[in-house]
Amino acid sequence: MTTVVIADDDPDIRMLVAIAVKRAGLELLHSAADGIEAWTALSEHRPDLAVLDVSMPGHSGLDLCRKLRADAAFGSTTIVLLTAGVDQQSHEAGTVAGADYFLSKPFSPKELGDRLAQIAGARA
Amino acid sequence: MSTFWSTFYRRISVDNPSPLLKQMPTTIGFGVAVALALTISSIVVAQPVSLAGGSTVIVLATGLAFYFTKDGRETRWDLAVPILSLLGIALLRHATGGTTSLFSGLIILPVVWIAAEDGRRWIIVSVAGTSAALMLSHVLDWRLPQNEGEWLRGLFTPFVFGIAAAVINELSRQARVRAETNAALAQELEGLLEDARANEVRLKSQDRLMRSIWDAVTEQSVIGTDVTGLIDVWNPGAAVMLGSTEHETQYKRYITDFHLDEELENRARELDYPAGATVLNPGFSALVEAARLGRAEIREWTLVRHDGSQVSASIAVTPRLGDDGSTTGYLFVGTDVTQALEVSRLKDEFVGLISHELRTPLSSILGYLELMRDDEESPLSVEQLQYLGVAERNAHRLLRLVGDLLFTAQVTSGKFPLDLGPANLGEILGASIDTARPGAEAGEVELVLELPEQPLVIRADSLRVGQACDNLISNAIKFTPRGGTVTVSLSSTADDALVTVRDTGLGIPAAELDQLYARFFRASTATRNAVPGVGLGLTITKAIVTAHEGELDVESEEGVGTAFIMSLPR
Repeated sequence: MTTVVIADDDPDIRMLVAIAVKRAGLELLHSAADGIEAWTALSEHRPDLAVLDVSMPGHSGLDLCRKLRADAAFGSTTIVLLTAGVDQQSHEAGTVAGADYFLSKPFSPKELGDRLAQIAGARA
Repeated sequence: MSTFWSTFYRRISVDNPSPLLKQMPTTIGFGVAVALALTISSIVVAQPVSLAGGSTVIVLATGLAFYFTKDGRETRWDLAVPILSLLGIALLRHATGGTTSLFSGLIILPVVWIAAEDGRRWIIVSVAGTSAALMLSHVLDWRLPQNEGEWLRGLFTPFVFGIAAAVINELSRQARVRAETNAALAQELEGLLEDARANEVRLKSQDRLMRSIWDAVTEQSVIGTDVTGLIDVWNPGAAVMLGSTEHETQYKRYITDFHLDEELENRARELDYPAGATVLNPGFSALVEAARLGRAEIREWTLVRHDGSQVSASIAVTPRLGDDGSTTGYLFVGTDVTQALEVSRLKDEFVGLISHELRTPLSSILGYLELMRDDEESPLSVEQLQYLGVAERNAHRLLRLVGDLLFTAQVTSGKFPLDLGPANLGEILGASIDTARPGAEAGEVELVLELPEQPLVIRADSLRVGQACDNLISNAIKFTPRGGTVTVSLSSTADDALVTVRDTGLGIPAAELDQLYARFFRASTATRNAVPGVGLGLTITKAIVTAHEGELDVESEEGVGTAFIMSLPR
């Protein structure tokens, strides 16, 4: 089963993402509340999928993205960035940092679940 | 002796001395002659009556000269004085022996006066006067000249006196001409001096004006350099901006000393100077590149203050031209934009913050509402679903509002990228109508779409144009009472595609039409009729249309309806 680590500093959003992950039938290994906790969890679990909020205290989603991409151990990790920003620039920044997917808030939990299932399917 | 005579002529002819002064030589000479005649025994006074008469005439003439002097008026009648004097001298001559008289020479004195008058005719008068004076003794004695010698004396003496008179007359004339020339020159000189003084006054006042303007420019730096960048002009504004005084910089520092080296190097690299010898100082050349080519350029540079701190300035560089049109240096006029940049940065930061902080809670609200609605384990009642729908609709409304606010912020800060591509306006309008239909049905407003037979495709940002159409249509519906109609039509001219949204609504008062596109403006008809909204829709629509180089026009009549016509270039 596809393993997932998620990170978002907003507890409500974190729970919403967790629900979407579960509905997509993926295995949630850890929900991190900030960038540093997320990095620890990512290093520990080496998940198949990382769903990261862009703006978090500690390391931002973009920082984590760059760290993951700089480390060969995470070569097989698919990165999904979540952002509340709307402009084209943040999208580009995410792509440059090495994110595979870029999803914007607000999202429907159902749609997010479907999308994650699709992404996990594409990996297989 | 010659000095005496020239002075005498000058005084007589040019300086225009008083008649009394001119008469003095004659009076004195006559007096001396009379004294000699009375005291020296060898001089025989044959005719005492003539002596008395002559003396009387001279006294009379001198008195007349005194009168004319006193009177001071310019008149030719003063010539009566030398003419009378001639008569007086002629009588003296008669009294002391007539043709043999010792005192014939006195005649020359009044003759000089007459001859020095302006005009050749006075030579004739002088000769005639001399002849008359010489002939008087013959007339009084009533006898003709006795021998050839007497005849010749009567003719030759006037001839000699005539030559003397002519010489005097000519010398006087020349002196007069010289004097006139001198006077004209002096007047010209005076005029020139006058002009020079006026010029000086004007220059001084201009200088004062320049000085005061110069001192008044304290918010902008004005720095001048020669062609090598050596500073020769440094205004108070530059002192304020950069912390160095004119004294510290003029002819001592180079303009590049106040710039960041790496910025100049970057610019030089951008300009792609050939490496090496051709450009001596690439940094300075990069700074004045445009001005050197004759263009004015405004560019943002980072300046380094005296204390090492930095200031962002927008600097206009222009060439200074010499009399022959060649570049003699450059002028740098700078405005401190540090604050403006900071404000812009804060605004961007604020926009980012709002974007995150408002959208995050909305994400939660919408997400959990959806979870509740779709919960298959414990389905909600119809009523509960209805309530939930209201909550969701309003959350979406908030989300749209946040989006609109962000968008206007982007528009005002100039960050409004268009994603241009082929845009099928018919399809876009169809989609907008579909979006608006539920609202129209709820408000019992009929929605009509009129499309041309041929599809109309223009180059535009489909998403933004769709947003503009959504705004116009939802606005029209909001402002149209029950039973009204909103007609959306698409047409085209040779140059433009026209989208017209016409309603049968409240209308906009004519006086408010020109404020329509101001942010947060709401028409009085809107507030009076409690139509919901914050007044951003039209601002956004206008911005989108303007970004496409199109136009947004409005026709409205209060109580009849409004039509918005959006024209986009094809």
